[in-house]
Amino acid sequence: MGKLISATLTRAVLALLIVLALGPILWTVLGAFKELRDIVTPVPKLVFTPTLDNFATILRNPTIRDGLLHSVIVVSAAVLIGAVLGIPAAHTLARHARKWGDDVQFFVLSLRFMPPVAIAIPFIVIYLDLGIYDTLFGLVLVYLIVTVSTVIWLAVPAFERVPRDIEEAAAMEGCGPAEIFWRFSLPVAAPSLFGALVFTFVLVWNELLLALTLAAQNATLPVVAASITSLGKEVPWGVINAATVLLVLPPLVFIGLLMGLLNTMVRSGPK
Amino acid sequence: MANITCTDIVKAYGAHPVIEGLQLDIPDHEFVVFLGPSGCGKSTMLRMIAGLEEVTGGRIAIGGTDVTDLPPGERGVAMVFQSYALYPHMSVRDNITFGLRRQGASRAEIEPRLTQVAELLGLEKFLDRRPRNLSGGQQQRVAMARAMIKTPQVFLFDEPLSNLDAKLREKLRTEIRKIHMQLKTTTIFVTHDQLEAMTIADRIVLMRDGKIEQMGSPDEIFERPASRFVADFIGTPAMNFVHAEIVAGDRLTAHGGGMTLHLSPQAFTTLKPGQRVELGLRPARMDLCEPGAENALSGKVVLVENMGAEGQVITEVAGQEISFVTQAFRSLSPGDSVCFAISPDHIHAFDPETGDSLRQE
Ligand SMILES: Nc1ncnc2c1ncn2[C@@H]1O[C@H](COP(=O)(O)OP(=O)(O)O)[C@@H](O)[C@H]1O
Ligand SMILES: [Mg+2]
Repeated sequence: MGKLISATLTRAVLALLIVLALGPILWTVLGAFKELRDIVTPVPKLVFTPTLDNFATILRNPTIRDGLLHSVIVVSAAVLIGAVLGIPAAHTLARHARKWGDDVQFFVLSLRFMPPVAIAIPFIVIYLDLGIYDTLFGLVLVYLIVTVSTVIWLAVPAFERVPRDIEEAAAMEGCGPAEIFWRFSLPVAAPSLFGALVFTFVLVWNELLLALTLAAQNATLPVVAASITSLGKEVPWGVINAATVLLVLPPLVFIGLLMGLLNTMVRSGPK
Repeated sequence: MANITCTDIVKAYGAHPVIEGLQLDIPDHEFVVFLGPSGCGKSTMLRMIAGLEEVTGGRIAIGGTDVTDLPPGERGVAMVFQSYALYPHMSVRDNITFGLRRQGASRAEIEPRLTQVAELLGLEKFLDRRPRNLSGGQQQRVAMARAMIKTPQVFLFDEPLSNLDAKLREKLRTEIRKIHMQLKTTTIFVTHDQLEAMTIADRIVLMRDGKIEQMGSPDEIFERPASRFVADFIGTPAMNFVHAEIVAGDRLTAHGGGMTLHLSPQAFTTLKPGQRVELGLRPARMDLCEPGAENALSGKVVLVENMGAEGQVITEVAGQEISFVTQAFRSLSPGDSVCFAISPDHIHAFDPETGDSLRQE
């Protein structure tokens, strides 16, 4: 009997936590499909006539459309280049420089300790001098600091978990270092690397401060979304909700694409 | 097929030497076991032959070709790892055929060879599974199939059976031996298990602290251990050691620890009266005897260990524990007085300082 009660209680607490965690997200998604008068009613409405007007408003608004486009370009480029540079570096650290691996890893991590404001202001000056202020290239460059360091930091342990024997067995079959990395270490570590990339993507996708300070015309989506909330008295709640949903979608698509890539990579070998 | 020659092999990690000037000659077709306690450098030696570890000094030749500076893939050797090291992202079939496919062999070439090794190792049913869905024994067979399909000149095994349970270990040991009889590929097999070494080897290389302590057939190693270390390492139950002194008389006799034992004068031609020796008495070479028989020892039974067909009897002889093995152990119980003897031919004698065997022939 006591067991039953405690089990029920546990479930109730769990359910409550889930509602607490997912409630706001669900409410936002619902809000994205509501008209303003359905949102601002004193009694919250669960049943309403859904509308796509909010999304239409957003996608018709050139600022938001551009913001979305800029975000996709900047973040994809930063994560992609970060992965291309960071993953091989992490493998090398994990395999050949274990002696200094911890120090390097800590140094790389320490880059993340720095408050973004501390680098934002010097960057403004440097970027203005270089003439890359308010360019997508400049944003990609500054985000590379974040992506390369995060990818290395998360990928070193991923490669350390790849049994050395597997790489040695591949070497016995005549594979050179590059082939071993490409055909064995990478596919075997892929599931952990996948998590590292998603984390990195989300980190820069949501980045606001650097984007706010280093770009004006070429603002990314978080900057645009932040500016919508300060439009004045007539807050377009539905539009904000829709913008939020749009903000969340690309990371989900990105995760899906990575999953697909992962599956094909893991399945292949030489034909 | 190939012979292996290692000349003056030295290996050091930093300032810490692991292998010190090792000489080794392995003829074609031989099944050699590297045996020794953990940390004595067996794996290091094997990995240097494989090319996974660089030598600090010395040369390695396989089949007459100096391979010291060749990468592992060009030495014509295949290795089976203790952890199996199967590729987790490939099916069993792809694991086995990877090397051949990589070399660009055609399907028509690969298929019959795959069928052959799969049949040899009983893997036909598992070819489409992933390694993680196989038991330890099956995974080990896949690892062996992967090594075998390329028909290398040399097989290297690094403690391949130590992750398996005793029963399976015995079964696979027999299989490896049978496969070697069939393929006759030169093989080096590393183990720390002396029983495994004795049963599987043509020749045992017994190592200690990076040096070869003794090299020889299992019989030689068992019957003529070159040192106290070898004698102690080989054989279960372990050898009894007794400090003694050679006494004057018309027969070669040693006296010590309350025992008086005759030794074989043909085996020990250099022993002088008064010389101190350490005698080695193998439990398996002793048995119950009538009181008054040659080399009879009398003691009190301390413990009887049932091993099935035989039993190990641990006795106390003049304050020292001496064990022997007998089939008639069931009639003995702790506290009994027993008489047991060893033939002079089976007594070993070692120098108490250096541990070297004093046997001459
Ligand atoms: N990468 C390494 N760095 C430093 N010392 C090592 C390394 N690999 C092995 N050793 C040392 O070399 C010695 C022999 O190791 P190993 O060949 O693995 O022994 P075995 O296989 O006989 O148990 C051990 O003392 C071990 O500590
Ligand atoms: Mg070892």
